[in-house]
Amino acid sequence: MEPLYRLKNLRKCYGSREVLAIEDLSIREGGIYTLTGPNGSGKSTLLGILAFLSPPTTGEVLFAGESVAWNPRSLLSLRRNATLLHQAPYLFDTSVRGNITFGLKTRGLTAGEQQRRVAEALEMVDLVGFEKRKARELSGGEVQRVALARALALKPRVLLLDEPLANVDRKCAELLVEVIISLPARGTSVIVSTHDPAHRHRFGGNRIHLVAGRPAVPPHHAHGPGLTEPEAG
Amino acid sequence: MHTTTRLLLALTILLALCAGAGAEERLKMSTTTSTQDSGLLRVLLPPFEKENHCKVDVIAVGTGQAIKLGEAGDVDVVFVHARKMEDKFVADGYGVNRRDVMYNDFVVIGPKDDPAGVAKAKTAAEALKMIAAKQATFISRGDKSGTHIKEKELWQAAGAEPKGNWYVDAGQGMGPVITMATERQGYTLADRGTYNAFKGQKTNLVILFQGEKGLFNPYGVIAVNPRKFPHVKYDLAMRFVDFVTGPEGQRIIAGYKAHGEPVFFIYKK
Amino acid sequence: MDFFVESFHTAFGLIAAGDPDVMNAVTVSIVVSFWSTLFAALAGIPAGVVIGVADFPGKRGMVTLLNTLMALPTVVVGLFVYSLISRQGPFGAYGLLFTPEAMVIGQTVLAVPIMANFTLSAIKGADPRIVPTALTLGAGPFGSICRLTIELRFGIMAAVIAGFGRVIAEVGVAMMLGGNIRGYTRTMTTAIAMETGKGEFALGLALGLILMTVALVVNLFLNLLQQR
Repeated sequence: MEPLYRLKNLRKCYGSREVLAIEDLSIREGGIYTLTGPNGSGKSTLLGILAFLSPPTTGEVLFAGESVAWNPRSLLSLRRNATLLHQAPYLFDTSVRGNITFGLKTRGLTAGEQQRRVAEALEMVDLVGFEKRKARELSGGEVQRVALARALALKPRVLLLDEPLANVDRKCAELLVEVIISLPARGTSVIVSTHDPAHRHRFGGNRIHLVAGRPAVPPHHAHGPGLTEPEAG
Repeated sequence: MHTTTRLLLALTILLALCAGAGAEERLKMSTTTSTQDSGLLRVLLPPFEKENHCKVDVIAVGTGQAIKLGEAGDVDVVFVHARKMEDKFVADGYGVNRRDVMYNDFVVIGPKDDPAGVAKAKTAAEALKMIAAKQATFISRGDKSGTHIKEKELWQAAGAEPKGNWYVDAGQGMGPVITMATERQGYTLADRGTYNAFKGQKTNLVILFQGEKGLFNPYGVIAVNPRKFPHVKYDLAMRFVDFVTGPEGQRIIAGYKAHGEPVFFIYKK
Repeated sequence: MDFFVESFHTAFGLIAAGDPDVMNAVTVSIVVSFWSTLFAALAGIPAGVVIGVADFPGKRGMVTLLNTLMALPTVVVGLFVYSLISRQGPFGAYGLLFTPEAMVIGQTVLAVPIMANFTLSAIKGADPRIVPTALTLGAGPFGSICRLTIELRFGIMAAVIAGFGRVIAEVGVAMMLGGNIRGYTRTMTTAIAMETGKGEFALGLALGLILMTVALVVNLFLNLLQQR
């Protein structure tokens, strides 16, 4: 089976500064990948490319076997497959429902179907009944959960999460981890970057470790269950 | 959003009404601010508008601009008091059928204590000569208006060149100039109509010289030449000319009083 | 100083009596300002969004130009439009001069740079996460910019309020293009200028007070909209 993503000779530079350099990386569908590495190692940049939000400077990206042409028309449909959750997510200045239906509206769902998805997503993040609340009035943990619900409602093929547990309390983090783990079974592949080894162990799955923009062997001796090196070829 | 839509609708209807109100014929007339400020037009125009089912749009600006509007064909009729400029306007082909309408006069006004001794002058030119000699403050219209042109003629007749800090070139209309002269307690040449309107409440300056033939201030009305500007409302303009020079218009002009005094005089036929 | 007190009395008297000249001038002021604010918003806000969001050669020059246009004296704008719509001008055939329509045209020209500039400021200060968030949720470039504009509605409303304030308070354009024709193109501001020229300071100030009251009411309404 074709890998979900295949990156070949990919480089991303900002001016003269090389931020990412990946010779060959494959990411399979149907599981969880954890993305680790020190600060500034290029994790966010990689997630941005995988979300089709910013193109690489050179190199090729294949999604489900097709080479990505970085033009507006193809990007529009590609972005509907991959949704990125920012490290500090931005909620639109409207209600919780308004935020969640934003993406649903662009996909042409009926009002009834939208309603259903909103309720379903809010239930998953334990925020039942929050539809009418104003986004600006939510607490930090609630913001994180609504942002996740907003992404989940879209039922994307792959969900990319940039340090989703960085600014939340333990209880909220627990909930988020539970939700994230359940996603592959619901048909959404997950790539999540994280700093915390405990969380990484909970997620399981495969690991991509970046150092200075390049894939590297992670610095641990102890290998947890299901932990492997990035796949080559 | 409903209230906003309703408000927009209401305002649209309001504008439509405003536009609809302009459905009758409109005659555009340029005149001077002093003519408008005298208040004469408010009694002179309504009977004409009623008889001819039209509205007269009065654009009151400085004399120079009033004539320029005629030269551009932006108005249908010009009603000013600057004989030399009016004659040139007709000679250059911009206007036709110039007619005398009414007249009043200019007066030299100044502070009650009359530092330049103007009250003793025998002619208007002599009055200005005395002001120049004393270097007393004099405010000039400076705007090529009828008043300004008359003032320049007087300086020439007096053989005095108005130069120096005492001579203030205001570049404004008659009202603001009288106000400025009052503030500075200086002299100025004013048309009697505007002075009368200011007398008492708005100025403490008094008339120090008047009555000379040379201070005669005639008003003329001119239709803009339809051959040069085919779009002008020539028929309506001529009806206006006939009205103000005819018995009804002349009666209104002669009878018009401001602060109990007549402002304009008609010619004896 | 006494004409301050006198003008308050005069203002109340005029409003209480429903003086037709005053009511007329208020109506002309409001209607003309409404339409010019509307047209300026329709042109200026998208212009500000595009300049703010897009990247193009000469962008900095464009922004400097916009800033300079904000300092345009109203009488200059009036002269410029006059030269276009006078019978001598290219659009003379339409007979637009000395009509409320001419004033709307002139005031729109006046307000567009303000609307564009305020919108541009809002865009520049916008949270950089807005557009990427909209994009990743599946909106296209146009949809994302629309969302950006909605997120910035407070700042953009400020643009509208600023533009409205500029046009309702100005004299130069209204006088030059409208001609201060009684009952037709006489606005509050041209009436104030005229009365002041006649030395009627108290009346001028009274009209000014009425104008400020009208502006206050309109701004209350706009602020309510802004808070929604």
